[in-house]
Amino acid sequence: MSFRDHDKKTFVADTCNDFTARRITKRDFMRKMALAGIGFSAFGSAMLGGGRPNRGMLGFGVEEARAQDTDMLKWLADVGKPYAGTKIRYTSEATPPTIVANQLVAGEFTKATGIEVEVEIVPLEQVLAKATQDVQGQLGTYDVYYLDQSWMATFAQDVIDPREYYDQNKALAMPNFDWDDFSKPLVDGIAMYNGKQCGIPFDIPIFILMYRKDLFDKHNIALPTDLDAYLKAVQALTEAEKGNGIFGTACQAKSGHYSLECDWTFALWGHGGSIFNKDKKFVGNDERGIAGLKFYQELVKNSPPSATTWTWDGQGQALTQGQAAMAITWGEDFPGFDANDSKVKGLFEALPAPKEVPGRRATADCGFNEIPAVGHQGGSTISLSQYSKNKEAAWLFMQWVCSKDVMARVSTLGGGASPMRNSSFTDPRVKAKAVVGPGTTRHFEAIKYTIDNQMGSEPDMPIWADLSNNDIPVELGKLLTGQDYGGDAKACLDAIAHIVDGKVKDAGL
Amino acid sequence: MSTATFTRERSGWALPRFMTAEHPFPWLAPITVMLLVFGIYPLAYSVWLSFHKRNVVSRQLDFAGFHQWARAFSDTRMWDALETTLIYTFIALAVQLALGILIALLLDTDRKGYGILRALMTLPLVVPPAVTGMMFLLMQDGSFGVLSFYLYALNLISPAQPILTQPVTALLAILLADIWQWTPFMVLIILAGLRALPKEPFEAAAIDGASGIQTFLRLTLPMLRKVIAVAVLIRGVDLFRIYDYVYIISAGGPGTATETLSFYAGRIYFTGDFPYAATLSLIVLVVLIGVSNLFVRLFKVRF
Repeated sequence: MSFRDHDKKTFVADTCNDFTARRITKRDFMRKMALAGIGFSAFGSAMLGGGRPNRGMLGFGVEEARAQDTDMLKWLADVGKPYAGTKIRYTSEATPPTIVANQLVAGEFTKATGIEVEVEIVPLEQVLAKATQDVQGQLGTYDVYYLDQSWMATFAQDVIDPREYYDQNKALAMPNFDWDDFSKPLVDGIAMYNGKQCGIPFDIPIFILMYRKDLFDKHNIALPTDLDAYLKAVQALTEAEKGNGIFGTACQAKSGHYSLECDWTFALWGHGGSIFNKDKKFVGNDERGIAGLKFYQELVKNSPPSATTWTWDGQGQALTQGQAAMAITWGEDFPGFDANDSKVKGLFEALPAPKEVPGRRATADCGFNEIPAVGHQGGSTISLSQYSKNKEAAWLFMQWVCSKDVMARVSTLGGGASPMRNSSFTDPRVKAKAVVGPGTTRHFEAIKYTIDNQMGSEPDMPIWADLSNNDIPVELGKLLTGQDYGGDAKACLDAIAHIVDGKVKDAGL
Repeated sequence: MSTATFTRERSGWALPRFMTAEHPFPWLAPITVMLLVFGIYPLAYSVWLSFHKRNVVSRQLDFAGFHQWARAFSDTRMWDALETTLIYTFIALAVQLALGILIALLLDTDRKGYGILRALMTLPLVVPPAVTGMMFLLMQDGSFGVLSFYLYALNLISPAQPILTQPVTALLAILLADIWQWTPFMVLIILAGLRALPKEPFEAAAIDGASGIQTFLRLTLPMLRKVIAVAVLIRGVDLFRIYDYVYIISAGGPGTATETLSFYAGRIYFTGDFPYAATLSLIVLVVLIGVSNLFVRLFKVRF
């Protein structure tokens, strides 16, 4: 063992010795232990609020957590001086970028600038409620918001366009921030609303195809190229493997939960449908919409029976436990399959989702900027509040957390969390992880293709949070659990159409 | 001579009468302020909200008269949630009361070791309800839950229809968590009541040759009537507001089969429709006040 290796492996013990011998301060002790225990802490944070899937977040070494861009830290130390002692607040769901940022912020950003950052991690619905209350009263309680893409229309007037702010505040503009490095489809699909950029893309869970190669080989089933073939493969695998406790797929079909709405939109868009037409009428109940929902009903039938009680957590767990052969779902599940405690380590492969049948509806034919495509995205932005009393300090934090160096580490330390910057895909630290093992990034090729070519985005409208978190998944839940509609997809979709059109009219949209 | 008068005579100055110890104002002021800030203001704000409508585009709260109330009364989901809440409250209360009396009678003895048993009864009460919900959720999970495993093994339910996927079993699953956690509360209150009963009537009944059941029905139960009424009132109010177990175990599903009124109000709140959520919460309050008052009059409960 080299001295360097030994040094790394005895880091925790040495730190404790240094502290007990009073050679380091309590602050340094906490910082070092935080670095050493970052994986464990991140796991704990991930448990908070049932965040979106990121089961690959399993721990990492001190070396991986270390900042590489020392020039950026020097720049932050220079421009951040006037704001030393300022405290900014940020509320977010427990997603990899936030968890990693939360772990790194004290040791890097606060150390360099003296700006304290309080990160409040709560379940997604509470993030929405807190942000809504904050903007309702224009309170400025939070300087930075974590905004889901489906809320962009709701909060567009409450946030500052980061591109404009960057251009207008040259003194605070981070050198080499490189806006063009952000994936353009992500900026367009997540952050833009009516020509305004509402934040910086910060998180991109997106639907890809993940399948058990061993089972496909065993039963000599061809990889599906479209959704019809996908359903046939799901049915064939259920038929062949049900006796072994393995179903063709696993759904996230919990009644009344946003996860069910996400699954439904993938099925709808995958059958050439859309939620709205260009006249802003609900058309999810047209022929394509009905075909999509019938397809989804079949998927649920070929899932473990508990699928109607699962959100993304249950679905990911089922796949990790080997209860299902494949799924078109959040790519962020993938690193969890390669984790050491997974029953399917190394057995899953990732591909872009099969193409839509009978083809994609044109974006121009949809309402509220909806982009219908099979790769449903659930991305989010980090956004600067219009009402913040510490805009400059908050802006420095946003630039740091969205810098190339930090974002690349979000992918590695975050256990294979999908990148927002093109440079993250080619970062050596990220590429080195593209092997079977915890925090793998070997699914990134499928993610990149999906982002660039088949990313679907939900409508941008102020009432979408209500429709997607309540009305639509509640009615779909009634259908799928047999509580109502007698299994009739059209009756369910007609009821949804009635509710949605009524609310759109009521809101004057 | 009162203290105030004494103080006045000795020092030569005096506080205004309403500030003196013989007047309740100084002693009531802190609690009155707290009540106003944490009780009356939120209630008044909720009432105010319930007469408004939130414009999602302008963000303004516009006066809307009885719009939210009319919306609530024509909302079938509200009625379904109210029905579920009533069913839940009734079943939980009946089971907890029956078990509470039974266990309290069993524990009402001075024999050695029973003190420890009584202490153990309090353990479920100290577990946070959210943790209890998680515990039961894991036990009832259709794929790896221990409870599901035994129910499958006993052929009581089918693996094709896991507990939480069926309306009736899902409601029972939530009830189970509630009953496990709160039956000890009933036990403790009824046990305290039993311990306070005079011995003489029971001795007289024994001399008269009354059987155990007769003693229980003719003496114990009537004498415990008010204790039971208080326990039922406290638990009834708590049960009607049920939220945490539903949120964690079923999230109102399957479909809306286990959606209670408080849970429905919470779901609406999290979508940002604060006026309607406030209206639904006020309905919970109105029903509770009405039923509680009726109950207090009916059972002549005195606090």
